[in-house]
Amino acid sequence: MTLALDALLALALLALALGAVAGAALFRSIVMFIVFGVVLALAWGRIGAPDLALAEAAIGAGLTGALLLVSYRRLVRTTPRRTPRSRPAARLALPLGLLSAALVLGLGASGFGLEDTTTAGAGTVAVPSTAGQAVLAEMASLPLDNPVTAVLLIFRGYDTLLELTVLLAAYLGARLALGGSPPLSARSAPAALPMVGALLAIVVPLSALVSLHLLHAGSDAPGGAFQGGAVLAAAGVLLVLSGRLRAIGSAPTSQRLLLVLGTLTFLGFALAARLVGAALFTLPGMWAIYLIESALLLSIALTLVLLFAAGGGLAWGRE
Amino acid sequence: MGLNDIASTLLLAVAAFFYLAGTVGLLRFPDVHSRLHALTKADNLGLLFVCLAMALLSGSARVAALLAVVWLLALVASAVSAHLVARRALQFDPQAPAPAEHRAEPPA
Repeated sequence: MTLALDALLALALLALALGAVAGAALFRSIVMFIVFGVVLALAWGRIGAPDLALAEAAIGAGLTGALLLVSYRRLVRTTPRRTPRSRPAARLALPLGLLSAALVLGLGASGFGLEDTTTAGAGTVAVPSTAGQAVLAEMASLPLDNPVTAVLLIFRGYDTLLELTVLLAAYLGARLALGGSPPLSARSAPAALPMVGALLAIVVPLSALVSLHLLHAGSDAPGGAFQGGAVLAAAGVLLVLSGRLRAIGSAPTSQRLLLVLGTLTFLGFALAARLVGAALFTLPGMWAIYLIESALLLSIALTLVLLFAAGGGLAWGRE
Repeated sequence: MGLNDIASTLLLAVAAFFYLAGTVGLLRFPDVHSRLHALTKADNLGLLFVCLAMALLSGSARVAALLAVVWLLALVASAVSAHLVARRALQFDPQAPAPAEHRAEPPA
């Protein structure tokens, strides 16, 4: 029964991926991609990776989907009277597909190799050559209970810092590419509709609550700044869509600071460790982890909302 | 197989029926409004029965309460999004049967 479910998930993923890449209409491809994200989150959940499932559902399916849809809307607006077609670069598609397949097979094969060495060894003895085993062995000496958060902030802090910088660079790149084109007005969900107001009154406070819960839970359960930031950003996207928040050309200083707050806080702690003689990225304790994660959450949420709103900053209300 | 398992299996079967009905309606009904009707009505019931089955299986009041919150949130979201989709469809197709006060509303 579980095998049937897994096989169904795998087949659905393949079919959805094909539909997203090879579909004739762009809108259909976007919808396929969003559903692909949801099914992928299920698949992560099935193989016991709830952190990845949360991130995939919140960022991969939710916010990326929203970004794709709003880009589609902009595309339709600027090139009216024809439905944009999805044009996969046919010449590149085959080599890229083969390379991806090779990568997946390679990763899968190396995974099987690891499993063999562990079971061939003396049962519970950790294999020192694999990073995951090393992390699990170190977990007892850490104040955290969630190995994923430990990897993100303690073992591979440098990678996390780079990820944040990539997000920031992506936002700056989008700002540059967009130039001075005016932000899209929210016209699909008029702010005056009582049902929209009621939905916002329920969903926005709940999103904030869930976001904080994910942030707090991140230390010993699935969650963390990325997932929490994505949930908070989803509330922001709703506020933008319903016209409660609007994009403005240039941001006030406070919002600019908020954009880089996460990166700066993390970098500050990483470098401060050097000042007191410890290794780079050595964090002084749990309070530092909470502080960094909170700053990351705010920066990630603001960056994602600004990407969606295609603006330099946010302001309350309509024009 | 305990009484609990039998009851939750029955609930899941009922849920599957509602989901199936909703999906058939989505695929077969002629226009946006009747499709929305099929989706929101049938799928909300389907989710309710899935949540009931899960609550029975978990046997914990806390999980049952959380599932109730999940169902209520899905209810609110589907009601509002169905309303918005229907409104938008009405603006694109003024011929659709609708109450007069809705038709008189200017496109936003």
